[in-house]
Amino acid sequence: MARNKYDVDESLETEFNLSHLKRLGGYIKPYRKDMILTIILMTVTSALGMLTPIILMRIMDVYIPNEDIKGIIGLSIIILLIYIIISVALRIKITLTARLGQNIIHTIRSDIFEHLQELPFSYYDDRPHGKIQVRVVNYVNRLSDLLSNGIINTITDLFSLLFIVIFMLAVNVRLALICLLGLPLLMILIFIIKKKQRLAWQISSNKASNLNAYIAESISGIRVTQSFTREEENTDIFNRLSGEYRTAWLGAVKYNFLLWPAINNISTWTTVAIFVLGVAWINQGVDGITAGVLIAMTGYVGRFWAPVNTLASFYNSLLTAISYLERIFETIDEPVLVKDCEGAIEMPPIKGEVEFKDVSFSYEDGVPILNKINFKANVGDSFAIVGPTGAGKTTIINLISRFYNLDSGMITIDGVDISKVQIKSLRKQMGVMLQDSFIFSGTIMDNIRYGNMEATDEEVIEAAKTVRAHDFIIELERGYKTEVNERGSRLSVGQRQLISFARALLANPKILILDEATSSIDTETEILLQEGLSKLLANRTSFIIAHRLSTIKNSTCIMYIDGGKIDEMGTHEELLEKKGKYYELYMSQYKFLEE
Amino acid sequence: MTEMKWFFSFLKKYRGRLIFATFLVTIVSIIAIVNPQISGIVVDDIIKGGDHSKLPIMMVIMIVTTLLRAVLKYWFLLIFEKSSQGMLYNMRDYVYRKLMAQDFNFFNRNRTGDLMSRMTGDMDAIRHFVAFVTYSIYENSLLFVIALVMIFVADWRLALCMIAVMPFTIWATFLQLKEVKPAFHNIRKRFSSLNTFVQENVSGNRVIKAFAKEDYEIEKFNRENDGYREAELAATDIWKKYVPIFELMANALTVILYLVGGIMVIKKHMSLGTLVTVSGYLWMLNNPLRMAGWLANDYQRFVTSVEKIYATVIVEPRIFNKENAITKERFAGEIEFSGVSYRANDEEILKDINFHVKPGETVGIVGATGSGKSTIMNLLCRFYDVNAGEIMIDGIKLKDLDLHSIRSNIGLAMQDVFLFSDTIEGNIAYGRPDCSFEEVVAAAKIAGAHDFIEKMPEGYDTIVGERGVGLSGGQKQRISLARALLKNPSIIILDDTTSAVDMETEAKIQKELKALDGEHTVFIIAHRISSIKDADQILVLEDGRIIESGKHQELIDKKGYYYTVFHHQYGDFEQILASTRKAGGEIG
Repeated sequence: MARNKYDVDESLETEFNLSHLKRLGGYIKPYRKDMILTIILMTVTSALGMLTPIILMRIMDVYIPNEDIKGIIGLSIIILLIYIIISVALRIKITLTARLGQNIIHTIRSDIFEHLQELPFSYYDDRPHGKIQVRVVNYVNRLSDLLSNGIINTITDLFSLLFIVIFMLAVNVRLALICLLGLPLLMILIFIIKKKQRLAWQISSNKASNLNAYIAESISGIRVTQSFTREEENTDIFNRLSGEYRTAWLGAVKYNFLLWPAINNISTWTTVAIFVLGVAWINQGVDGITAGVLIAMTGYVGRFWAPVNTLASFYNSLLTAISYLERIFETIDEPVLVKDCEGAIEMPPIKGEVEFKDVSFSYEDGVPILNKINFKANVGDSFAIVGPTGAGKTTIINLISRFYNLDSGMITIDGVDISKVQIKSLRKQMGVMLQDSFIFSGTIMDNIRYGNMEATDEEVIEAAKTVRAHDFIIELERGYKTEVNERGSRLSVGQRQLISFARALLANPKILILDEATSSIDTETEILLQEGLSKLLANRTSFIIAHRLSTIKNSTCIMYIDGGKIDEMGTHEELLEKKGKYYELYMSQYKFLEE
Repeated sequence: MTEMKWFFSFLKKYRGRLIFATFLVTIVSIIAIVNPQISGIVVDDIIKGGDHSKLPIMMVIMIVTTLLRAVLKYWFLLIFEKSSQGMLYNMRDYVYRKLMAQDFNFFNRNRTGDLMSRMTGDMDAIRHFVAFVTYSIYENSLLFVIALVMIFVADWRLALCMIAVMPFTIWATFLQLKEVKPAFHNIRKRFSSLNTFVQENVSGNRVIKAFAKEDYEIEKFNRENDGYREAELAATDIWKKYVPIFELMANALTVILYLVGGIMVIKKHMSLGTLVTVSGYLWMLNNPLRMAGWLANDYQRFVTSVEKIYATVIVEPRIFNKENAITKERFAGEIEFSGVSYRANDEEILKDINFHVKPGETVGIVGATGSGKSTIMNLLCRFYDVNAGEIMIDGIKLKDLDLHSIRSNIGLAMQDVFLFSDTIEGNIAYGRPDCSFEEVVAAAKIAGAHDFIEKMPEGYDTIVGERGVGLSGGQKQRISLARALLKNPSIIILDDTTSAVDMETEAKIQKELKALDGEHTVFIIAHRISSIKDADQILVLEDGRIIESGKHQELIDKKGYYYTVFHHQYGDFEQILASTRKAGGEIG
């Protein structure tokens, strides 16, 4: 898939997909009991509610003419009791529906989040992060109305609709049918606008996502924006996206607003038809139609259209919600490409022998990155990978952690094919320090401890000392308790690298992978760091990518990678002897001294 | 209530439209009152009375009024919706501009997810209020007042009895507003927190996978997810107490009407007809009372969000243009730091920094991690203000200069490369969006980025992921360098920009940069001596102080810190040189 950016709409699914609703139904299932209870409660109370007009009628028709004050007081108390019951029931309903709605949202959010954890780097690389985030947080929230009140009200309303239709049919079939004729009319309208309405909501959810992505990037990239004085242009872009969202939103709600007036008019037309035809039929003396029947019928017509109205608004919110729901399900359905194979075994404790056998790999079909790579690192070896940028160095080490699947070939650790073991059991035994050192918001202590949650404070400090981070940390205002944030903006890049280094060490890995781990660290610190490391690395296998060759000179083996192939391999001395590419690379750093 | 004042300032533009829409609401409500009366006439006069002559005209009136009501309602709904979207658009613009103008300290304090919540979830609560809650409150109050007046006209004693429930309702509304407020604040807080967590999780996905910490993240997420649910349910717990009370109050009116009214009719204080009339108005009293609880909720939700947004925008940036700031198209590039000190959180970052750079010079800065190298550059760009001392560009104090002038004259390639999810071309042209493609390519060539960009399937049109994921560190750095160069600034700052670039490429870049010499003042922060060796002056920093300065050779001769670093990086040079010469090799 081509990469997506903030102002590119995500692809739309045009067909209204019933399976989405079915799936949503699956989320409701565990709360069936609560739901049935609520519906019973609502049905009973609405039945009680129907009693009150009858009682009131009795007061008007019988008790007042009879001047029966005691009777009126008695009936009033009964009505009051009914109302109290209704209020109590309402309270229970609110509790149950809120719990139902929130629980379902909670589950859906968990599902999408847990699935996101399984998705590979490429998923995150292919789209703005704001677009992923909006699905987990904002989109899921959009479902809350539908799920809390919507469904229960709808089911309750369907029941009352059924009751009323039965009542109407019982009173007079002909007049009832006139009223029911309004429904097909409504259906036709819904059918006509459905496609447009749905598309409009999809566009709207897309525009919301674009806007969100742009906000996220604007905030994360504020430093660049300010240093390039791009504030004005960015505000223009932002306003364009914001305007698009506004237009899309208005374009969508205008369809939603259509339903209410339509129902209102149709209901009036049916009432008029009942009046006109009813009066005509009375005049003609048609059997079974009397003034009383007609009056009763007009009363029911009102009661018939009220639930239709709420059903229509449910329909509206359903169409709205579906446009979010399908995005949520799309994410949950995103295939996990790198996953445990069937019967994957737990990776046994790693000793540290790593072997690449004819490993080929490409991110995209037809663009090979690695071509038949072969090498073997023994326990305790330190392997350095050098080569021009973009040669595939990072790719090689990413494959050791099985961040991607191979096109062909095999990688074994201690002779075990890593594609046959549980991924987590593999990664837990590796210490990886990425090029881009990410710092979570929290204390420095928390950030280092991320490598091993069980580590004591002393162990954390020990790791920090090993990588020479301890000195600058204790100089900070609150030492290890200093709060740093997300991009670690209070720390220099070098300090961030030291912290992520400590984090990787704390994991006590059997295989340590350092990808440009010390590029922003000064040479002095690095030398001290390496002294500390050498003891630690004694019986661990390590892979190091570095551009400062002083960092890797002492490695057991240096690989020169270019164009997805190993061009040269050997110790520093051997490669210098060879006078090949490594030699040239090594000498290039002295070139300037010659000038 | 400054928050509300602030909010209303956005509505001002839509006042005319909203007043008109409110007028439409009034008409629609009146029609809503008229329609049942027509039904009543039809039932009483036509069906019961048998006077069929009135039927056609009544039917026409019914259809026409319904149609009118529908059209008017559709109209005012759209006006409210459009106004709310319009004001929201303006509010987003305002908040966005405010954020753009904030200083670095602000962004160090505020988490991305929190700021995003202000721009999304909180804005949505305001939309809902303007588009729906405002007219609902008006519509309900209107119906309520009209009904009350009608009942007063019909029988004032009965009306007084019915008003008796009012104080309870008002009191309950008041209590609910008060009690639910902290709950909503808590919901917003939880929402922000959830948002922040998810945002970091997405951004940090590589680290999470590398450490196989998915389960830990899920566990943490569950706490956030639970927290948000509990906050929502806690609010529900409050209004579930009140909403049934409102329901009961509303229904109590019915009981009062029939009880009191019935007795009054029997005692001949009132006619049966009046009772029937008043009961016809009952729904107009009932519904508003029933809605009171929900509307109070929505209102409080809205107030909370306004407060949250306002609290974010009210913070004034600490770095801003002083009045009559000097704007300058292009600087010559003379820079002077005199006695500059900078502290952050009681922590001394820079102490008494002094140096002077002539236009066109190149300055190299070296020093240990955290010694304050980047901070010097951040001060020069005025991302932070100095605590003591003075920075001057072309002899003008930095604080007297227009911020925009300063920053547009400086091309900064940051240590922490941030790329936007845009095409490579778009990223390089970030500082000058309207420049030609040729200029982009030229900048990429100087930065040594052209070759690898060309090799990509889509070349300069390749979309890179956020923060440049998918590119190697060295590639990102070179794009960032091209971006800085394209601005053609008078001052270029390369903050550790080639650390992840291999040495040969770096040598090429250095060569290209040298070709630019003379027109630009260049700062190079680097750890590799090779990057800064040819600088006109080299500053060596330690713990926020300049401990050595001078040219390469001078510093080597000094045999201080610089020499040590040099020795560590190139110590075996002599030996290599000797060995290769012996072997008859050629160097360079």
